[in-house]
Amino acid sequence: MKPPLETASPASEQTSASARRKIAAAREKALQNQGWQGTYALFIREVKRFMKIAGQSIVSPVLTTLLYFVVFGFSLGSRLQEIEGIPYIDFLVPGLMMLNLINNAFLNSSFSLFIAKIHGAIVDVLVTPLTPLQIIMAYVGASVVRAVVTGLIIWLVASLMGAGTVAYPLFTIVFMLLTAIGFALFGIIVAIYSETFDQINLLPSFFLMPLTFLGGVFYSISMLPPFWQAVSLANPILYMINGLRYGMTGVSDVSPWIGLGILTALVLLCGLHAWHLLHTGKKLRE
Amino acid sequence: MPNSVVAPTPTENFVGPVLTVQGLSKTYGKLQALHNVNLEIEPGEIFALLGVNGAGKTTMIECICGLQAHFEGQISVAGFDVRKEYARARQITGLVPQELNFDGFFRSLETVSSQGGYFGLRQPDQKARALMKRLSLEGKEKDNTRNLSGGMKRRLMIAKALMHDPALLFLDEPTAGVDVELRDDLWEYVRELRGNGTTIVLTTHYLEEAEKLADRIGIINRGRLLLVERRDHLMDKFGRKRVTLRTAQPLPKHLSRELRIYQWEEGQENEYHFHFRRDETEPTLPRLFELLGQYGVSITDVETRQSRLEDIFRELLQSDDETTS
Repeated sequence: MKPPLETASPASEQTSASARRKIAAAREKALQNQGWQGTYALFIREVKRFMKIAGQSIVSPVLTTLLYFVVFGFSLGSRLQEIEGIPYIDFLVPGLMMLNLINNAFLNSSFSLFIAKIHGAIVDVLVTPLTPLQIIMAYVGASVVRAVVTGLIIWLVASLMGAGTVAYPLFTIVFMLLTAIGFALFGIIVAIYSETFDQINLLPSFFLMPLTFLGGVFYSISMLPPFWQAVSLANPILYMINGLRYGMTGVSDVSPWIGLGILTALVLLCGLHAWHLLHTGKKLRE
Repeated sequence: MPNSVVAPTPTENFVGPVLTVQGLSKTYGKLQALHNVNLEIEPGEIFALLGVNGAGKTTMIECICGLQAHFEGQISVAGFDVRKEYARARQITGLVPQELNFDGFFRSLETVSSQGGYFGLRQPDQKARALMKRLSLEGKEKDNTRNLSGGMKRRLMIAKALMHDPALLFLDEPTAGVDVELRDDLWEYVRELRGNGTTIVLTTHYLEEAEKLADRIGIINRGRLLLVERRDHLMDKFGRKRVTLRTAQPLPKHLSRELRIYQWEEGQENEYHFHFRRDETEPTLPRLFELLGQYGVSITDVETRQSRLEDIFRELLQSDDETTS
């Protein structure tokens, strides 16, 4: 029988006993749960999120990159023919892939986290037992999947179109992964600090895109006057593009190991900072 | 052969309060949102935290549930410190936040299932469907969360909070924006949850909600927990009864002296309000009638009004505001 609506009955002995049993059972569960199943669930949720907007998250970047490839590769390629001893098309593919990796990894983690923050849905994650590391792993994991999948599609299509870019596959894959991880972490940091859509768009538009374009996606810095060569060497993304180019074609303007070092540093620094932000609850738990 | 029943061993029962808050203080810049709050919640009770907007109810819940990382004092849930052993404490706690939120990328069922997944459930869909059905959200599984009405979003948030079967559930203004019929249904559901062993802490603006649901009530004002009382004790201690008498003619002047022992005042023509404490009417009211009878006053109408929690609450806040200002 339902209790009458008018009165509240105090917790009876029976209710109290069943509550104590429930708390004991919940404690057991809490002691057993290491959070990895939850991390996987958040990762899957993040993958599903970008798959729901696959037109925007996968198809659009692939198409845009292929348009660059066709326009620059075929129009400029016929004039330039060879650059650094390899066909211009081969030279171009790694640069376009890096552009795509950076954008997709950064946009995925930053937008997903930022929108969850704006719409309040981030609370759903913050009240879970997931640790800062586990939350980072889930967000970064999904961003890496998005960036690497689009990267691989571009790589495949470019190869089908005649680009020969498989010099050091292992080096290439490691480089792709590190790039995606580094920029996904960077995206998390930017999402945590950002308070408006303008702020979150600031970095990709005014920092990442120009640095990538000026980092030798379309040209070798040896083609630049000495002054601009020197300026270009201060651009960290130059080393990343050239590192990937080394992995894919065996050719590089600068040592690929510097690129690998910069990426490793990016992963470590951004990883530590993102962890620190989530651990202290900055802007999320205050 | 009869089914054997295994009696729970002592280790299967948790001993002590499910929530302990000690010396909790929280400031936002110069604003002291919580000031040295101490509170214990016993297993199986429904506790209502009452306070006006900005009193500190939500901040307190946020400190407990991990949405506020920085505060002074100690909070433990089922023996787990909410900062040092946060993952364990959060496995035990469920929160339905006050602010409506939605995840525009997903359908309702997906968001509820995901929430179970974050807490470690491997096959959460079936449970998510059952909870949505219980919360009258059947047929809305495929709707995008963005398109749900405010009341539906609220119920969806309740479903999400219950996916991991929390032993301690926080409902921050659970019936805000929910229509009357569904509100009654939710209240019934809260009792059902308590019946299943869930301890419930709710905050509310609707004093009626606290009056009908809560075993104990805490009143918070300007970040201070003014009092914590059993609901019925609170009503007895602070409740008032007003008896209005209408008489055929004005009360005789010389009767006023006799009535000095009562707290009373004149209302409209031939109308008199007598005030009693809730628990003192029994012996004193018949004496009043007897007295009036002796003086030949003929009573034409009697009306009684019991003060409700709302009145008690207002009175307490008023006296607190007067004291602090």
